Order: sequence, then C-alpha cells, then structure tokens
Amino acid sequence: MRFEQLNPFTVAVYYLCVLGIIMFSMNPLLIAIALVTSVLSAVIGGTAGKKAHLFSLAVFLIAAVLNPLFVHKGQTPLFFFNDNPITLEATVYGLCAAGMLTAALYRLRDLSGVMTSDRVLYLFGRFSPQLALLLSMAIRYTALFRVRWRRTCDAQRALGLFTDGNLIDAVRCRARVLSILITWTLENGIVTAESMESRGYGTGRRTSYATYRVHRYDVILMLVCIWLTAVSAVGIYYSKAAFYPELSMDLLSPWGIAGAAAFTVLSVLPLIINGKEAIRWRLLLSKT
Amino acid sequence: MALVTVKNLSFTYPNAEHKALSAIDLSVERGEIITLMGATGSGKSTFLRLLKPELRQNGELEGEILLSAEKATLSHRTGVSGDSLLAGSGSPLVLRTFPQRGYLRKGSLGAVDIIEAPSSRIGYVAQDPEEQIVTDKVWHELAFTLENLGLRQQDIARRVAEIASYFGIDRWMERDTATLSGGEKQLLNLAAVMIADPELLLLDEPTAQLDPIAATRFIETVYRLNRETGVTVILCEHRCEELFPISDRIVILDGGRVVLDDTPRKVAQLIGKDSEYTAFLPTAARLYHSVGGRGELPLSVREGQLFVGELHINHTNPEHTEPTSTEEALSLKNIRFRYERKGDDILRDLDLTVYKGEVFALLGANGAGKSTAAAVAAGLRKPYSGTVKLFGKPLKDYKNGSLYQENLSLLPQDAETVFLHETVGEELKSCDTVMEGLPFDLKPLYDRHPYDISGGERQLVALCKALSTKPRLLIMDEPSKGLDANRKALLLEVIRRLQADGVTVLLITHDVEFAALCADRCALFAQGGVAAVDRTDRFMTDNRFYTTAASRITKRYVDGAYTVALAAERFTAEGGAV
Repeated sequence: MRFEQLNPFTVAVYYLCVLGIIMFSMNPLLIAIALVTSVLSAVIGGTAGKKAHLFSLAVFLIAAVLNPLFVHKGQTPLFFFNDNPITLEATVYGLCAAGMLTAALYRLRDLSGVMTSDRVLYLFGRFSPQLALLLSMAIRYTALFRVRWRRTCDAQRALGLFTDGNLIDAVRCRARVLSILITWTLENGIVTAESMESRGYGTGRRTSYATYRVHRYDVILMLVCIWLTAVSAVGIYYSKAAFYPELSMDLLSPWGIAGAAAFTVLSVLPLIINGKEAIRWRLLLSKT
Repeated sequence: MALVTVKNLSFTYPNAEHKALSAIDLSVERGEIITLMGATGSGKSTFLRLLKPELRQNGELEGEILLSAEKATLSHRTGVSGDSLLAGSGSPLVLRTFPQRGYLRKGSLGAVDIIEAPSSRIGYVAQDPEEQIVTDKVWHELAFTLENLGLRQQDIARRVAEIASYFGIDRWMERDTATLSGGEKQLLNLAAVMIADPELLLLDEPTAQLDPIAATRFIETVYRLNRETGVTVILCEHRCEELFPISDRIVILDGGRVVLDDTPRKVAQLIGKDSEYTAFLPTAARLYHSVGGRGELPLSVREGQLFVGELHINHTNPEHTEPTSTEEALSLKNIRFRYERKGDDILRDLDLTVYKGEVFALLGANGAGKSTAAAVAAGLRKPYSGTVKLFGKPLKDYKNGSLYQENLSLLPQDAETVFLHETVGEELKSCDTVMEGLPFDLKPLYDRHPYDISGGERQLVALCKALSTKPRLLIMDEPSKGLDANRKALLLEVIRRLQADGVTVLLITHDVEFAALCADRCALFAQGGVAAVDRTDRFMTDNRFYTTAASRITKRYVDGAYTVALAAERFTAEGGAV
C-alpha cells in the first residue's frame, strides 16, 4: 500500500510526529536531516514544482539573513555591519530557524496534498457526525460558488454590464454579482434542505460512514512513528543545544546519535513505504 | 388494495384565491408508472409534494391520502423506528388524515394524525439536479441517506456498493459532486433516493434540465427500476415521447383538477387533434391525428413507422429556398481552445460561418464543447489560435465594450446568472422598447423577485434582458431547456420576429425538435469541431439518429418530412378526403 493510501489517522499521526520534531527541536543536526529529507521527499514524490523549490529557497535565504542582521546577541563577532556586530551565534541560529521553517513548509505542502477533503472529513467525522456533514456541505458550496461566480460574471459581461472602463465601476459591478450570488445560494439552499429532509435527515440518531478501514499495518506504523519520535525527543533532550551567549551542544553523544538516526528513519518513512511498493510492482511485472 | 389512494383531495395555498387542487380522486396500484401532465401551474408539483409528508406546504387541506402498509416489515429492515408503523400492519395505514378544513403547518402534527410514514418509504427527486446534492463526494452522497437512517457501517458499505453497481456509478464514486454533468448529477440523486429502498418514487420533472440523451437515459433507468424492483412511480414531465410508451396511466391535470386519467393510448385518442393538450402527445400520435388516422393509435416511433406505411403518399415536393444572404455575420476560423495549459483541446479547428439574418442551430450532446464554442464566439474566452470575426471585423477591434452594445448578446444557459436586482421590474427597467414587440406580457411579474417566479418565466425575463442591448447577433445557449410546450411556442415566435427584424440568431441547443421548427441551417458539433453543416431539411433527412422523431418515422417513405406539419402534408389516410 502506498503511503497516501493509508488510513488518514496514520497519516495524521505521522505528520504530527514529524512536524512536532521539526518545530520544537532547535537541534542543528536534526534540522539538517529534516531539510535534506523533506527536499528529497518532494523531489522523489514530485509534489513540488520548480516554482515551489525557488520559493522555498527564497524563504530559506531571507530567514537566514534576517536573524543575524537584527539579533546581535552572542560572543563571537564575525564582522561589523553598519557598526553592528554580526555574531556567529546569531548566524547559526538564523540558519537553523530558516532550515526549520523551510522543512516545515515542505512537509505542510506534502500534508495538504495527501489530506484531501474526504480524509479531513473522516478524521473529524470520528468525533462528530454533525461536524463531518457540515464540513462536507461547506466544501461542496465553495466549489459551487466558484463555478457560479464565473458563470455570472460571463453572463453579465456579455450583457454589457462590465465595461473595461474604470476600476470603481468594475468593483461596483463585482460587488453586485457577489450580493446576488449570495441570494441565489440562500434561495436554492431551500431545495437542498428539502432534499435532506425528504431523505430522512433529522429523524433520529445519525451514523457516519467512511470508506477507510483501520488495518493492522496502520496500527503498527502508528506505533513505530510514536516510538521513533520518542527516541528523537530523548536525543534532543540529551543534545542540550543552546545558541546564546555562546554555542554549546553535544550533538554526538550516544543518545544524540540515536535520536538523529531515529529521526532520519521517521523522515524517510513514506519514501521507504512507497519505494517498497515500487520494487514490489517491478518484481511482479518482471515475473509476468 | 392500492398502494396510494387519494380521496377528494383539495388544497389551497395561504392567501390564494383559488384552490391549487380541487376534488382529486386517484388510486395508484403497486408497481404502476403514472405520468402526470399539465401546463405550468396546473398543480402537478403541489400534488406530488402533498404525497411526501416532509415536503408538504403550508395551506388548507381537505380529503385523505392513504398509503397501504402491506410491507410494514420493510421498516425493520431499514432500521427505522418501526414499532409505530407496525401498529397498522396488514391493514391500510392512514398516512395522514387531515382535520376537516383545518390549517396544517409543516412539521406539526394535526390533531387527527395517526401515524407518520418513515421517509424511506417514499422517495422524491426534484427538478434541479445541482441543488439536491448535499455533500461533496459521490460516495458520501449515497451514504448520506443511510447515515440519516442510522444504519451501521457494514450495512451502509454493502448498500452503497450494491446501488453503485446497479446504477453504473461505481467508476466515479471518488469524484467531487461539483465536477459531475447534469445527467450524472440527476442519476446520483435518483440513486441516493433508491438506496433507502422506497416503495413509492415521486419524480417532479426530473429531466427538465437535462439534454435529450441524458434525459432518455434517466427515464430508461426509472423504467428498469420499475420492472426489476417493482417500485411504484408517479412522475410529472413534459417529455411525452419516451413516457407515453412506458406509462401505465397518463393523468392530465388542468387548473388543479383531473381532466383525464386513462391508459396512454386512450388518453392520446381522447385528446384529438386540436385540443389544448395536443402538444403533450408524442409525435406519432400527433401525426395520427393530423392525417385523420383510424384504427390503432401509434405511440412510439416504431408504431408510427408501421402506421405511416399504411398511408397514401402525396408526391408533391415541398419547396425549399436557399438562404439568400451570403454576408457573414459571424465567422470562426480554425479556432483552437483549451481551459488549461496542460489540458486537452476543447475546440479543435472549429470552423463556423453564420450568415446575416439567418437562424443557425449548433446541435450536439452535452459536454461536447458547444457552450465553450458560444463563449469563444461571444468573446468571453480567447482561443489560442484562430480568428473570430463579427460582421467582418475581428472581435478585438470592438473597443470599450462596444461589442456588447448593439452588436452581440449572449443569453446564457442558467437564467439565474442574468439577474442582479431585487425585482423583475428593476431588471427590465431599460427594456421597455424591447418589450413592446414581444408576444408575452411580463408586467404582472414586475413586483416579484426574479427567484420567486417559475423557471419558464425566468427564461423569458432573461431573454428580454439579453435583447435590451439591441444586438444584431443573438447567441442563445439552450433557450428551450425546461420550457413546457406553450412556452416553447412563445420562444419560437420570438425567434421568428427577431429574424423578421433582421437579427441573426445562433442557437446552441441539444433540442433537435426545437431546432427543426425554427432553424434555417443546422450543424452537428462533435469532438471540438463541426462535423456537418446543412440546410435544416437536408440535415434532418440525412441524419439517421440525430434527427426529429417525425423524420425517423417517415424517412423510409419520404424525404424532408421532419416535423409533424410537414409530414401531415405528405400523407393522407387511405380513403380519406385529400
């Protein structure tokens, strides 16, 4: 099974673990691992295009530069800029923060690609069927609204309402379209309400149906994720990374190394699962 | 015991002067298909909604509606609280008895109410395919009904799988409901209702918004459900061509009264040639009446062919004039268009020329790209290659919105998108001069909100708005959608008047019957281009499948008889006076 096809709970737990470590550890080693693996995942998984990579690079550079420019704490000045010291400590901290931000951005982009609306619904539906239905209807209305906005604007343009003239007119016309669209949506909401009622909505206790199952594989994976996260957290604790007033950290203690190793495995877990799947298909194909 | 018995039912809307329904007696046997017909406002929808307790409107009611309870065990199976229902097991169950002349509010139980029927016993599908859908995914829409009934996970899984494969929608279970076509949406609505296994299915003009092919498929599905599951069907529709052959009874309502209630053949026989209900009849029956036929009345195309075969053929060749104008009003040359850079071409080398003063019909199935072609022709979408010229001038040379003032106007498919104001009067403020020339009067609607008037009326108001810029070329996208026979006749007259005034009309439609009545030339749109363009008579005669019912009935005997009127000229009943 591919990683994206796992139960949404497993996927959610996984991202919670990875993002948790990325965002709450200011450990240079772990952040370097996070940055490398998240870029690697994006490249192999094909989830980010050229533009997205360039954007991430820009975010990284800006965040890395801003910290030493504005923070002058630390004991080791590298050089002076506008009579202000640029310190080694602030530079390293800036690099770490930038790495953390960039890695988190990559992971969040992955997450939004994997967590489609029906998966989010499934997650919430476990807690409240009402909330799940509400979300589902909201998503549907947004899609409908977008389609109608476009159709109405087209219709009005062809009837000569929108002129290419001044900006104020254009804004006023669009405001009118928006207001009438809301009326349209509310008006037709009655039909939806009737459709719900005639299909027995509100007659008794509701259940929530989902197409996902929890397999043993999911449970094992969740436990593995939590265990790896725990090891990483212990590693972070023993590394005792501190940046100010001077850099002090013990990255290569036994626990530090164990933590880094655990986090590496955790970070590439989707790649391992998908890679295993790819190899299995390759083998199956070569047999036939 | 009949499944549904309606006794002396009358209904008056609050503050209404006249009864919407008066003294209706009707009984429906288990497994029947009953088609209700009648003009807009005849009370069809009101009647259907009275049969469904959840949808009953406010108003004054008299009489009784009884729903038989022989299948009370059903409620056990679907998990609905079945105890109260079982109280009347075996014996007829009063769905709701109305207090004599009492005022009934929706949702409240009247004093004499005995038992509520569970919603799952009666299924209801309305006209608008889009608005009935509740959730965002196809599978969730199906499950929604069962979630409401409180079924367990594994039961829902089974029923969803069952119904999906029966309806052939298992391939698009994961899709977003917003991406479905109108026909798919309506099929989903039907499936979502059938999943609760109702005994009675109520359909309120379910195909009015669909193209003919999707509509036929929908009706076929209903017919199949009826034969294979025995579900009783009551539907109101304008689409007589498909429904007369499959219905057990046709009930014609007029002014809230049952005018006729008999088998389709008897009803068609009784209506005759010049009745106000003649437009409800299928082509074969109208042809039968037009030539003064005797013997068995034909209902379907096949029966029509057998009937025509017995007739005497008049060997007169009807005259057809070639279009006189060769001046181009609209020309599209080598148009290529796609919505997304990486998507497929929607328009592929589209070439189309519309001459000045003609009515040109662009025909084709839904989703073929006809509406996209209209949007490109109207300058709303820019093709990535090819040129569009209006009256000999490229579209981009019309500056400052002059294109949409006195040159070109587009009547969109959804009339809702045209309205921007609170009342019809405000909408039509600038349309006085346009209104004078029209064969209908919209003044009585002036104080109403555009959304409160009926779909047909809305269409006419939108048409007036489209004409308010005094266009020389009018593009109409599916103008006949959802109109009853009378309104279609009005629209036809408007188009003829426009043509007489020198306006060029481009019809984008899937309604072949309508195009046959008003177009000078027709084109068949397929695979992003025009597959065939021809004069209407040749187009209709040469096409085998994509043509009118009249043409399909008569084509083995004569050419060019593609409407009932034309066909009636070519045939005489044997021994009858010529």
